[in-house]
Amino acid sequence: MLVRVRAACSLLLVAASSCSRSGGEAPAPGAVPLVLKHQPLWGDPAPFHAFLDRFRRENPDVLLRTETLPNASDAAREMFVTALEGGADDFDVFAIDVVWAPEFARAGWLADLSDAFPPARLADEFLPGSAEAVTLDGRVYAVPWFLDVGLLYYRTDLVPRAPRTYAELRQLAREAMARDPRLSGFLWQGRQYEGLNCNVFEAVWGHGGEVLRDGRIALDTPEAREGLRWLREAISTGLSPRSVISSGEEETRRAFQDGRAVFLRNWPYVWAEVQAEGSPVRGKVGFAPLPSASGAPGPGALGGWQLAVSARLPAARRRAAERLVAFLTSHEAAVELALRYSRIPARRAVYDDPRVRREAAFIAALLPVARAARPRPVSPYYALASDAIQGELSAAVVGLRAPAEALARAQRIADHLEER
Amino acid sequence: MTARSQAAALAAPAVAILGGVAVAPVLAAAWLSLHRSILVFHEQRFAGLDNYRFLVADGRFWSALGTTAYFTAVAVAAELVLGLPVAVLLQRGGGLLRAAVLLPWAVPTAVSARMWAWLFNADYGLLHRILPAVDWLGSPRIALHAAILVDVWKTTPFVALLLLAGLQAIPEEVLQAARVDGARPARVFFSIALPLLRPAILLALLFRSLDAFRVFDAIYVLTEGGPANATETLSIYAYKTLMRSGDFGYGSALSVATFACVVALGLVWLRVLGRRP
Amino acid sequence: MRRALAACAVLAFFLGPLAWQALTSLWPEPELTRPLPHSLTFASYAGLGGTFARAVLNSLIVAAGTTALCLAAGASAAFAIAKLDLPGKRVLLGGALAISMFPPIATVSPLYLALRAAGLRDTLAGLVLPYATFALPLTLWLLTSFFRGLPDELYRAARVDGCTPWQAFVHVFLPLSWPALATSAILVFIFSWNELLYALTFISTPSRRTIPVAIALFAGEHVEPWGQIAAASMVATLPLAALTLLFQRRIVSGLTAGAVKE
Repeated sequence: MLVRVRAACSLLLVAASSCSRSGGEAPAPGAVPLVLKHQPLWGDPAPFHAFLDRFRRENPDVLLRTETLPNASDAAREMFVTALEGGADDFDVFAIDVVWAPEFARAGWLADLSDAFPPARLADEFLPGSAEAVTLDGRVYAVPWFLDVGLLYYRTDLVPRAPRTYAELRQLAREAMARDPRLSGFLWQGRQYEGLNCNVFEAVWGHGGEVLRDGRIALDTPEAREGLRWLREAISTGLSPRSVISSGEEETRRAFQDGRAVFLRNWPYVWAEVQAEGSPVRGKVGFAPLPSASGAPGPGALGGWQLAVSARLPAARRRAAERLVAFLTSHEAAVELALRYSRIPARRAVYDDPRVRREAAFIAALLPVARAARPRPVSPYYALASDAIQGELSAAVVGLRAPAEALARAQRIADHLEER
Repeated sequence: MTARSQAAALAAPAVAILGGVAVAPVLAAAWLSLHRSILVFHEQRFAGLDNYRFLVADGRFWSALGTTAYFTAVAVAAELVLGLPVAVLLQRGGGLLRAAVLLPWAVPTAVSARMWAWLFNADYGLLHRILPAVDWLGSPRIALHAAILVDVWKTTPFVALLLLAGLQAIPEEVLQAARVDGARPARVFFSIALPLLRPAILLALLFRSLDAFRVFDAIYVLTEGGPANATETLSIYAYKTLMRSGDFGYGSALSVATFACVVALGLVWLRVLGRRP
Repeated sequence: MRRALAACAVLAFFLGPLAWQALTSLWPEPELTRPLPHSLTFASYAGLGGTFARAVLNSLIVAAGTTALCLAAGASAAFAIAKLDLPGKRVLLGGALAISMFPPIATVSPLYLALRAAGLRDTLAGLVLPYATFALPLTLWLLTSFFRGLPDELYRAARVDGCTPWQAFVHVFLPLSWPALATSAILVFIFSWNELLYALTFISTPSRRTIPVAIALFAGEHVEPWGQIAAASMVATLPLAALTLLFQRRIVSGLTAGAVKE
């Protein structure tokens, strides 16, 4: 009786909500209502809605409603925190940024999905960085949906090959700059925001260091000092223009796309932009993993989104939610996302799928880079400390403080927050 | 009901609001600052003076304090120097001139900060086109002065109004007498009007310096405290610690420290004002 | 002549940036990379959409609520201070002055927790009380000095006629105080419309944001939509510009009276 009343109410909700999609057939009585919240997938929404309709057809006992969230940003995290902390009840299945999972899990907002998605299976089927990012204390709290990864773009007409080491990057850039003094050597994101953390961690990993030790954020290490020094010296020696310290993704992309730089560190979305009609560097750009001190492919920072389930769901809705997550993170779904929305898959096997190889060659070719993707410190306190860390790293990059001192101060903040 | 209790009843709502929403929270913030409190993880334990010990050794706190003090000193001085001529101008000006000058004060600070951010924009801003060599918001040293400029633009009208009230309070006879005596207008102003303006100037300094010390809006919207935390004032540091790091214990300690600084500043000014002849 | 030049310089400094922002709001978005626009368009305004309109509504609601609360609490308290035998008058006035000097950040953390406990965080109603607290001191000072300016005989006569203090307040003094109430209302409205810190901290749902927060957090997909931000800024500023132009004299007297009467 109660179940029927609840179903009726859900029907009314669906009818009244302006965000819902009319989908599929009339749900069976006793249907379980489920709300999916996700960021807009740039592009035509129709294929994704068709895909969701498939889920509705295969799961007539689930009443699925979707809602798009505002863009990812610090404000989005605060909105999540407010809603989840305040016990909002329309958060069933939702997409979260790759750095929020540990924090939200520790706060008790995310359901433990280890039964439906065992850690061993996750490690098997997904790329290592993605699997690492959703696992906390051996339990799985979210499932990777799609990823982003930092990589190096280079001008094929200016340099003969992609550099493997930092020294090589420096040398190739200088040779190109000697031939054309108007060029900038190496563009990256040095403004005081999360992008800076990504760039610095990449430099740390590239020098053989780690950013997490025994589950705690580790910043005050010799390799970190090396990495931060490399970035600072890139600016002070003129390898990178001074404008880097106030640049984000878009500023550097525009400069590179206008043909004013030899090397660019950025995310995969840039590829489509530089290869578009009317781009001054169309056909003259290559991409590769970031360089490192040793010559091995340098790890890129892991970005992207994961799907999580609210911890407050009762058993029936929880099982339905897990089915939805499994559907959306399945091999088929990943192929759909890759082909229609150019989303980089987190599942290893998708890169070998013949459809992806045929119609999304860029994504297939990204496998070496994606395999090397590493998450930022998988600690519940990272999301809290990241803002403070950005300030210290920025001071080093700008030259206001020595790298060693900046890292020591950043470590002090992390320690203060993590101290239990 | 006696007359006294009726009076108390009339004043009660105001007292309740002021006491409950202003005084009590400050005391509560002090209490909160004695705890370690990470809100999202429900971590809460009494920590005594730990937060204050961390604060004293916190380089970022002292930087923020220095930045705030510098911002206050320079902004208030600039507003005074600019406000005085504007006040003199407004004295003879009409209502339209006053309304026009008042407009920056009425505009929301967030709006004016965005407006100036566009003027300062490193790619297409008007000021960037006029002076391309200056990296207004990207260079740590210049960014703080850009923020000061925004504050000066917004608040000089208020200072000018306070000084105008002071000017209008000067009896016309005094000035007339000086002019009749053959003194030139500049001398009249500096030797006679300015000393009589001292109370108004001190008042403007009091209000403005306490206001500037708690600056948040303009800087948050303009630079968010960057680059490299060079424009981070005490309020911004406290806000980020509370809302971004979720550290309600240390954030409250920073808020209390800010409050203490403002109180100290206010007491200093009161002593100066009290020494009036 | 020199005065006219000085006036022009002053106007250029204070109004110039606003004029430039108005121009930017009419500037076609793709042409923002050029020094000057080739044509003007209202596209930025059209593109503002529902979320910003909601922000305007939210600001109106909060400002109206704050003004009502401030006037109600402030007027009755001011009357009690000015005309009645209220114990602790000077403490109240002095305390109000001190409170207006508080840095708002000092009260943010406990207010956040209190509103959260009361279920008022992320609601517009939750903003009204903190706003009223910071607008109350100026209202109190303004209305107190106004009531003090009204003759005491009025009150005595009303009492002789058999009025209680409350009735004297409502029937005799309030009707006489429209000018002061109007001035207070305008100042409180402006303050409430412009407030950022509390709105930023207590409200997180985008549809409940007020104007300053909406403008501060205005973001496009990748690039900042400067044209739309300018259009939003103009929309946010116009009511205040109108208020300022119409009530310039009131505002000036209110600010200076409130300040000078320290």
